Amino acid sequence: MNVDLAHLKDIRKSFNGVEVLHGVDLTLAPGEVLALLGENGAGKSTLVKILAGDIPPTSGSITIADTELARLDVYQARQLGVRMIFQELNDAPTLSVAENIFLGQWPGSKGFVAWGDMREKAREILKRLEVDIDVDAQAGSLRVGERQILEIARALTQNAKILVLDEPTAALSNAEVERLFIVMDQLKKEGVGMIYITHRLDEVSRVADRVQVLRDGNSVLTVDAKGAQREVLVTAMLGHEALKNARPAPVSTSGTGLEIKNFRSGDDFNDVSMTINAGEVVCLFGKIGSGSSEVLESIYGLRPVTGGSVHIFGKEFKPKSPQESSSSGIGYLPADRQRLGSFASRSVAENLAVASWKAMSRLGFVDAGNEVKAFSRWSDALKISARRGPTQEIATLSGGNQQKVLLGRWFEAKVQVLLLVEPTRGVDVGARRDIYDIIRRQAKESGMAVLVATSDYEEVVLLADRALVMSRGKIVSEFTGNSVDANSLISAAS
Amino acid sequence: MSKTTEVEKDKKRSIPASAPLMAFFVGLFIYFSVASEYFFDIENFRNIAVALAVTGIVCIPGTLLMIAGQVDLSVGSAAAVSGMIMANMVNKHSIAVGLVVALVFGLTLGIINGFLVTVVGVNSLITTLGGLATLYGIALLIGNGQTVMMRNFEWLGTSQPWGVPLPVLIFTVIAIMGAVSLRKSTYGRSLYAIGSNPNAARVVGIRSNRLLFITFVLSSVGAALAGAVLCSQLSAADPNAARGLELEVITAIVLGGASLAGGRGSMFGTILGLCTIGILNNGLILLDVPTFWQRVAQGLMLIIAVSFDSLRQKLNNQRS
Repeated sequence: MNVDLAHLKDIRKSFNGVEVLHGVDLTLAPGEVLALLGENGAGKSTLVKILAGDIPPTSGSITIADTELARLDVYQARQLGVRMIFQELNDAPTLSVAENIFLGQWPGSKGFVAWGDMREKAREILKRLEVDIDVDAQAGSLRVGERQILEIARALTQNAKILVLDEPTAALSNAEVERLFIVMDQLKKEGVGMIYITHRLDEVSRVADRVQVLRDGNSVLTVDAKGAQREVLVTAMLGHEALKNARPAPVSTSGTGLEIKNFRSGDDFNDVSMTINAGEVVCLFGKIGSGSSEVLESIYGLRPVTGGSVHIFGKEFKPKSPQESSSSGIGYLPADRQRLGSFASRSVAENLAVASWKAMSRLGFVDAGNEVKAFSRWSDALKISARRGPTQEIATLSGGNQQKVLLGRWFEAKVQVLLLVEPTRGVDVGARRDIYDIIRRQAKESGMAVLVATSDYEEVVLLADRALVMSRGKIVSEFTGNSVDANSLISAAS
Repeated sequence: MSKTTEVEKDKKRSIPASAPLMAFFVGLFIYFSVASEYFFDIENFRNIAVALAVTGIVCIPGTLLMIAGQVDLSVGSAAAVSGMIMANMVNKHSIAVGLVVALVFGLTLGIINGFLVTVVGVNSLITTLGGLATLYGIALLIGNGQTVMMRNFEWLGTSQPWGVPLPVLIFTVIAIMGAVSLRKSTYGRSLYAIGSNPNAARVVGIRSNRLLFITFVLSSVGAALAGAVLCSQLSAADPNAARGLELEVITAIVLGGASLAGGRGSMFGTILGLCTIGILNNGLILLDVPTFWQRVAQGLMLIIAVSFDSLRQKLNNQRS
């Protein structure tokens, strides 16, 4: 036991009287990779934040490098060699690679940076990690995965012994993931202990020595990574309540709405083919980086297409630009509502009507009455609660209500194909149900084909007539009607 | 029923964005009326209107640009170049040739500005700041740094059909066209959308680049027209006559409630802002305040106006 780098024992943590960790143990040996699994809210982040001294535990003991610590703060944790690498980058993109590796602690004296020295040391450390990155390149010009490796390099220059990686691969391509794993293998040889938080089960056997699963603040399973069965891990993560789609499979409708064949875009996805009937809601399920949202972006013309074909109600369509797509009867709801969806300073009526102005106008002039009419038509159907009526600024509405307005935008525009990316991200639970009902009802009534990209399996279960699962840029399986359930989805996507 | 009454009540309760400026304008108006016996006079109001018309012609497309989140600083120098072109053409050829060449110059400049901003992707502030310097130099080059006198071209700046000065008439027509297209046309609504969220405008299928391009052209043509009117008023083209025009234009627009960040603003607000600057300048002259103070007052007003804009944005962010 005394060879352990870190040992957390019986850790409990309460926030405002609510206990979120109910006595969790965790150990980490030198040169070991421990994969930490669990659904959102299982307590993974809280646990590693306690290890990093970010938040104090309510009770329990922390032992790092054979010293038991009554209190651990961030500085002490850093002193003992605990470093966190997050999914989001913490670098200075306009500075060089070498400067980033020594960010804030540039070698030199009397306020002057010793450039030659710094570049030499940076080159050494990158060589140690067996990566080939130019130390004079601008950090911002590198790929995300390379920038993440820079952060690991920075941690190493600061003498890291325990490295916590919080979903580092979420935004990476396959090749970059493999490169990160090679770096991790290298660190293992140097005796660095790593805690690796992930959602991707296939990564566990590749990179980890042991797996620990958290669920609802309890440690429910700790096993050797090599022999760990995927089904066992999934069941441990979910508990036993697996969601099932209660709806019957839809009666097959007449026409084909959207058909894509051998669709591909660079490294993001390839050979994606699917057919969506008129009135059907199909979910494309996959974790971030699986390529699911990228497929929708490409159909809409936001991302270059490098191969394949798209047909809309039998007619060939070549994705070029959002303008082209929206005037060809395609609607697109982006995942990032604030950045790409809503016009914050404009009224709800305008936000709803913006895609239909052409239809509402005569000789280039919009009839404001039509705008208000459109709003009242949809505010009832979508249960939008805008207390101050059609002129209220959209930014003053709740996330759920804003999302309903943006959905109404495309319903009003009478699109034939609706593409939705993470339609309920940041939406409260109550509004979520409304939104699913609305999408399903509207699809059936208007006969439009709906394609939803989502990383939320619950959403798939509650929304989809059919689910396609994507992983690493490819469609890997398909579930229809009652066979759509959380367990099979997650295990197929991982 | 109860729903509609609630909506109406809320409408009444919300204060229009231009209310503070309106109050300031009225206060200033009353103050000057009391302080100077020459202020409240139809002839004086005519003077104010004539003095504002040139700035106003530039303010209308300027407001369209600002609402779309862009700015055109080259208008003052563009007006100067246009005036120099006018004077030379009128002296050597004819008024018609002068007007055509000046407007073609405006069109060309607008196309260049529009191209640099929407195709090359340069920030409009920097592009048009460069334009400001370049064009001022060109204006000096054309006249060799001297004022160019001209003959027989007073009608554009000084004639008074139906008792209304022609420049004021031109401004009024442009203002009405601007206000209507801003409020009612798909073009105007799209400008609001582009200014409010350029990324979302692209995603929703608005042809942002094309519309911005058109608006830059309108701005430069407006500046060229203003330059022609100005030199007709003066019977001479002075390369320095329109210096600082861009500052006055931006002050009026921002004072009128348009947000520098885009997405907000109205023609009514801009015109009110313009009138506020007009009576302030006029009132200070009537009260025998040295003209240097006009510059100070105008600069201060711009600072106050943008401070208001920032505070309003902060407040809005807190609320949402």
